[in-house]
Amino acid sequence: MRRYTGKDQKLTGRQKVSLLVQLGREARPIWKWLLLSCFLCVIIIVCAVLGPKLTGNVTNIICAWWNDHATGAPVGPLVQTIFPTLLVLLGVYAIGAVFRWLNMYLMNNVVSHHFTCTIRIRMSDKIRKLPISYLDETPVGQILERMTDDVSATGNTIHRLLDILMQGFLQILFIAVALLLEDWRLGLIVLITTPLSILLSLKISGYSGKYFRAMFRQNAQMYSVVEENYTNFATTKAYNLEENALEKHRAVNREVQKAQENSVFISGLVQPIITLVNALTYIAVNLVGGYLAIKGLVPVGTVVTVVLFARQFSAPLEQIADGFGQMQHTIAAANRVFQFLAEPEEDPRQGAVHPETVKGEVEFRHVAFSYREDQPLIRDLSFRAQPGQTVAIVGPTGAGKTTIVNLLMGFYDIAKGEIYIDGRPMSQMNRDEARELFSMVLQETWLFRGTVADNVAYGRPGATREEIMRACDESYCDHFIRTLPQGYDTVIGDETTTLSGGQKQLLTIARAVLADRRLLILDEATSNVDTRTEILIQKAMDKLMKHRTCFVIAHRLSTIVGADRILVIRDGDIVEQGTHKELLKQNGFYAALYRSQYDKG
Amino acid sequence: MKRIFSHLRPLKWRIGAAAILMTLSSLGQLLLPALMSAVVDEGIYARDFSAILKLCGLMFLVALCSLGVTIWGRKLSAQVVSGFSSGLRESIFKKVMGMSHESFGKMDTGSLVTRSTQDVGTVSWVANMLSSGIISIPAMFLGGVILSFQVDAVLASVVLCAVPFVGLVVFLIGRRVAPLWELSDAYIDKQNEMIRQRLRGIRVIRAFRREPDEHEKIADATRVMADNIINANVSMQSINPIASFCLNAAAVVILYLSARRMESGVSAATGGDILALIQYVAYIMNGVLAGSFAIVMVPHAAVACRRILQVLDLPEDRGEEGRSSSLKGGITLDHVSFCFEGSSEPALRDVTMDIQPGQRVAVIGSTGSGKSTLIQLLLGFRPCTQGQILFDGIPAGELSGSSLRSQISSVLQKTAIYAGTIGENVSMGCPGTTEADIWNALDIAQMREFVESLPDGLNHKIELSGSNLSGGQRQRLAIARALNKEAAIYIFDDSFSALDFLTESKLRARLSQELKGRTQIVVTQRVTTAMYCDCIFVLDNGCLVDQGRHEDLLERCQVYREIYTSQTGGDTL
Repeated sequence: MRRYTGKDQKLTGRQKVSLLVQLGREARPIWKWLLLSCFLCVIIIVCAVLGPKLTGNVTNIICAWWNDHATGAPVGPLVQTIFPTLLVLLGVYAIGAVFRWLNMYLMNNVVSHHFTCTIRIRMSDKIRKLPISYLDETPVGQILERMTDDVSATGNTIHRLLDILMQGFLQILFIAVALLLEDWRLGLIVLITTPLSILLSLKISGYSGKYFRAMFRQNAQMYSVVEENYTNFATTKAYNLEENALEKHRAVNREVQKAQENSVFISGLVQPIITLVNALTYIAVNLVGGYLAIKGLVPVGTVVTVVLFARQFSAPLEQIADGFGQMQHTIAAANRVFQFLAEPEEDPRQGAVHPETVKGEVEFRHVAFSYREDQPLIRDLSFRAQPGQTVAIVGPTGAGKTTIVNLLMGFYDIAKGEIYIDGRPMSQMNRDEARELFSMVLQETWLFRGTVADNVAYGRPGATREEIMRACDESYCDHFIRTLPQGYDTVIGDETTTLSGGQKQLLTIARAVLADRRLLILDEATSNVDTRTEILIQKAMDKLMKHRTCFVIAHRLSTIVGADRILVIRDGDIVEQGTHKELLKQNGFYAALYRSQYDKG
Repeated sequence: MKRIFSHLRPLKWRIGAAAILMTLSSLGQLLLPALMSAVVDEGIYARDFSAILKLCGLMFLVALCSLGVTIWGRKLSAQVVSGFSSGLRESIFKKVMGMSHESFGKMDTGSLVTRSTQDVGTVSWVANMLSSGIISIPAMFLGGVILSFQVDAVLASVVLCAVPFVGLVVFLIGRRVAPLWELSDAYIDKQNEMIRQRLRGIRVIRAFRREPDEHEKIADATRVMADNIINANVSMQSINPIASFCLNAAAVVILYLSARRMESGVSAATGGDILALIQYVAYIMNGVLAGSFAIVMVPHAAVACRRILQVLDLPEDRGEEGRSSSLKGGITLDHVSFCFEGSSEPALRDVTMDIQPGQRVAVIGSTGSGKSTLIQLLLGFRPCTQGQILFDGIPAGELSGSSLRSQISSVLQKTAIYAGTIGENVSMGCPGTTEADIWNALDIAQMREFVESLPDGLNHKIELSGSNLSGGQRQRLAIARALNKEAAIYIFDDSFSALDFLTESKLRARLSQELKGRTQIVVTQRVTTAMYCDCIFVLDNGCLVDQGRHEDLLERCQVYREIYTSQTGGDTL
């Protein structure tokens, strides 16, 4: 399926060249197959050239025979003379067809496979190595597009390129040589008019590229209008905005129509113009050939052969023109794919971690951090959490409470300062292994398509069924899991409607219980959860927090008041820290926040 | 199907003209070999240069006319294709925008978007291929056959036999390929879903160090998908070598037969005729191949058509009827029940409420208690299954939906933000809004400070679905929009959930000032949002369990007390 985006930028000549170099480099693992394909192409083209040549010979004989016959001259046997040639001709066509099929099979199974499947898998692997910051900034849809449409387009580019290089140019070269050997004068006519039609069609396809880009842009616009009005359906109705929406749609639709009309028309011109140039070639060959034949300088059969060759010429030409036209669309996509593969990767960090020995003391020492260089967020943050203590992170929505989580989990790198775990700097711990010290329960529950048991055991793949059930029991999931159609083996996913939001949250808590890590990161926010489940979630979280060093994005008063340390965040920056009592005494932002909840409105 | 093809009706003259032009252009192409054979016979063999000159001039004329006709035909067919898809797009969009909530809810929004854009694209793409590839085939074929019959009936019948044979090959392969395409389309969806899921859960996946497994899952799906696509492509591209071999073989047979017939003196065909015949075969071959590619694409278009028709064939919703009346804001629910279509459990059960003009009320309850359904009934999005709603004593059924909604201003649960500027988002639906009005609305919605901090203020561009705003900012912007609209009734459906307590309390204070005298309905899950209202309605499982003031409810209503306790952690201040 094609998705529409507005990002169909035009590449400069230099970019195109470097892209071709890159494509060449990508093709290295399959060079043997490409060589084989080259070999097949030579056979195919020899057959393609031999076909008209032999046909020309046969017609030559038939015509001469007919001519003699008509003028009453003595004639020999006709069928007997041409029969062997006809058999050879049939063989040539058969061999040509078989090898064309073989080459096509090879192209699909090796070249297309390599350039689509293999690259797609490498991109998936790339996701593994990209820093979270890149994935946060890049919309999911964009990455999806790189991996699906853009990769397909890359495969397409390669296919076209090989078609042009092997089939097109090679064939033209062979036919040109054959033509000149046949008769240099007639051959020259064809050789002069042919580049003319290539140039013309290139010009047109370059021109149509502009219109295609316009069409992609307009289509993207159309997509936005439709998506916006469908997702905001209720509001559009509530404000009686249907007419406005229709008007907006009509305006964009008109633009789409215009762009489509232009691009379809212009790209449709390539073929008739090539046909005209071919007809002109045809006429020229006839004129000159006819003249030469009358003068007796050239046998009639030669003229016929040249004419047949001239027709043969048009096929590879159209292929080249068409190929270049299509490449205009796909080349930018290929460029985006390589850009994605070249994105800087996350530094894995060195240093083994031994989770069993970690006690769970966490210290921030003069930590500075910002998402964007011009907007410093955390300027100088220091605090220490003893093993088993709770740190509550408090602040208005959107103030950046998750920043601390991002730093602890190594999702983002700190700019200055250091985070120590048991006195050991995190920058000297392997990133993956350091993450294994933590359990995480985020507000946005994430369940993947799989059984309930698999989802719970996500943090400990080898867990036995008993362990899973114990964890679920501890986090109050066991009961509702048993009511599911297949119990623990019920297949669930994010879109599952059989589970409520609260139940999904409980499952992620069970996941954390089973993973059993020394350090815990918890988001207390429980929106869209019914009251009874919310009570269960709180109980489960309270249990989970025991004996662990916890960082809690806190919403509940009891958690905040009971925390060993409260970090108050506003606009991404930590503005206050201390215990509940200390902060109330300071009478600052925290105190205001605390009281506002119970202010009379 | 009629609904789709009806969009061709306004274009029928153009379609007719394009068909005629394309036919003419292919006849022109067929004339060239005929002229060529004349050049050979009458010119070269007759050693008559003036005949060659004359015939070549004719050829040039034919080629030129043919080009002109082709260009004109392409122009018309481009107009047809783009006009057709534009009409189709508009009628789908119109249909969807005119749907009732009931019909709209039947289909997934994402799928509706796809049907309104991509599926139309697919249909028009195939229409384009058909119009350029197919229209000229019958003419090519027919013309070729007629011309060859003039030359020699027996030789012509070889041509006549070869073409259906090739057609059969194309048909058989096409039938094999169609299911493969469907399968690979399904896999593309599956793979997309897996990547989407992985990217959404990237933090959890990395936290639990499961990236290698996620990668492996996607790689496996990719391999299966690639196999399917390659299979489909190999089958489809087999058409070309097979078909061209068949037609080339036909040419060889023609050569053989013509030689035999000439030798035995049965045929009157000339040498030039044989030449022309072989050229016809080549022309027909090109036509058949071009057509075959278009035909293979037809299943793709058929799937898209089916999906579009599912939208267009939904029953028409009854029009907006009823009178308009200016409201003061009194609302009465009289034993209202509502049941979603196909659901056995009613979403609202025998709810009776009375809201006085100017009253500030709250509706509280947990998820699934029927709060949002209640709002949909109030806005006239859905009719009550039983009972009725009265506005100022007038039954809602007597009021037209649009006049009702013009007097209710609402912020719905799913915050709606439109691409455009901040100013446009606020003034939406209220022509004649001044800049001062907008600033005032933003001020009440606690958004002024933020907008003022932006370099371009009200003209600040908002991306699609407000992706460059935080959740709280989106909510406040929607609130400002509602406040900008002059209405008798204001509804806030869970509209403060993304705001922090401090902002919410400021907003609440401003609202009670500014909306004095207007009916205000606040739907919420938060006790702290509801507790200061004149009257609180407590919903549980679709039933109205109690109503009254905060203090009274705390004392006597168990559901309310539970909600209160869970949210304040039992702390009473």
